[in-house]
Amino acid sequence: MIDKLKEISKDQLLAEVKKYADAKARFVTGSANDLGDKLEITYFFNASPGMDLSALRFSVGKDEEVPSMTGIYLTAVLIENEMKELFGLKVKDLAIDFGGHMMLAQDSPVLPMLKTEEQLEAGKKGGN
Amino acid sequence: MAPRTITPFGPQHPVLPEPVQLKLELEDERVVSVLPAIGYGHRGIEKACELNEYPKNIYLCERICGICSAIHGMTYCDVVEKLWPLDIPPRAKYLRTIWAEMARTHSHLLWLGLLADAFGFESMFMQYWRIREKVLDILEITTGHRVTQSVSIVGGVRRDIDEDQKKHCIEVLKDVRKEAEALNNVLVNDYTVKARTVGKGVLSYDQAIALGLCGPHLRASGVKEDCRTQGYWAYGDLSFEPVIATGGDSFSRAAVRAGELYQAIDLQLEAFGKLPEGELAVKPKGNPPANEAVSRVEQPRGEVFYYAKGNGTRNLERLRVRTPTYANIPSLLVMLPGCELADVPIIVLSIDPCISCTER
Repeated sequence: MIDKLKEISKDQLLAEVKKYADAKARFVTGSANDLGDKLEITYFFNASPGMDLSALRFSVGKDEEVPSMTGIYLTAVLIENEMKELFGLKVKDLAIDFGGHMMLAQDSPVLPMLKTEEQLEAGKKGGN
Repeated sequence: MAPRTITPFGPQHPVLPEPVQLKLELEDERVVSVLPAIGYGHRGIEKACELNEYPKNIYLCERICGICSAIHGMTYCDVVEKLWPLDIPPRAKYLRTIWAEMARTHSHLLWLGLLADAFGFESMFMQYWRIREKVLDILEITTGHRVTQSVSIVGGVRRDIDEDQKKHCIEVLKDVRKEAEALNNVLVNDYTVKARTVGKGVLSYDQAIALGLCGPHLRASGVKEDCRTQGYWAYGDLSFEPVIATGGDSFSRAAVRAGELYQAIDLQLEAFGKLPEGELAVKPKGNPPANEAVSRVEQPRGEVFYYAKGNGTRNLERLRVRTPTYANIPSLLVMLPGCELADVPIIVLSIDPCISCTER
């Protein structure tokens, strides 16, 4: 469980991120997860000073564009580029766009973090 | 306006133990802008962690970094334990704390030596690394390895420290503290050290927050944030107060690490004094449940952030690792423009970059 998790839509993203910046919160990181037809994106923030963690989460279709938060938090430039090249997240207005080659070389696997059908199926069935 | 040139800094450079490239745009000797290029050491460890069964990921995570290897393993175990959740035995919590602080001790000694080397203080570099060998020796005695230590399992630890080893560690740590004090006194008072570090790569308190820094890099700008204040493992039982400095420059970053070196030794001595008897691990039942968890642990370079999502199978649905250098690299985009080319190595080194961690 993530205690302070707020579900939002991608259209609310920049306004919600701005609230964190205005409150002088520290951007911690983001994480993407392949849900099959969608990507689930989570951004984590720390209310400074202190160690109070909270998160914003939204789901987005694999063909949809997402606004970059690098205009508010420059430090998000690495994670947004990483999600772009490893998951295929379409990020709009990145402060620095590595063109899909921040981590990956020309001959690297394409979108390597996307799950196979078998992985998605196994995850849905669960265990225990 | 003088003509501008693009000068590559790295991926192979004497101050960079690992490959990263900075494309420096220079106007004469002054940096105008910088573009970092990473990806030389990307290994796809997060993906591999989805494909392996969860207990095997410990060994993968321990190989994210050679310096903080044990802490990566511990943090991975910690985040997976939170999926159930599992409460690990008190002795395991203390042992994880001791090994984590041992790693911080040798990592800070390594970095202080590298800093001395970067500005040509060769004898200081060799002295720091001579002392560091003593810490590597006690790591080898207690974990079996000088680097890439493997001590954690999901549910606790898989090695113990016996009474003889404990006594030996305490003796060595006291000796290391005494020797480090002598060297640190030179480091923080020497004219040439100050000339090369004071006022170099300055970040204010507000910039440090806005750039999302972590670790000594963050605390050198006066921000009193340290994951250990959360009280995980044995830290809640130990005397701990974050070390901070307010200069926000390369000198302050060195001063914070010098202060944390003593603190790490004191924490180990206190933990050895309070080390409880008891079991080393609990056995997890079944697979990690369909749940998600976050674990934030203070590595020598700053906060390492693990996010795990279980789905009830033996494999994790997602593991995300954000290492301290990943958070600290973007600060170079702010610190380097305006500085002299000759100051670039010191400023880059001042964030204690670990590229192996960053690229996973």
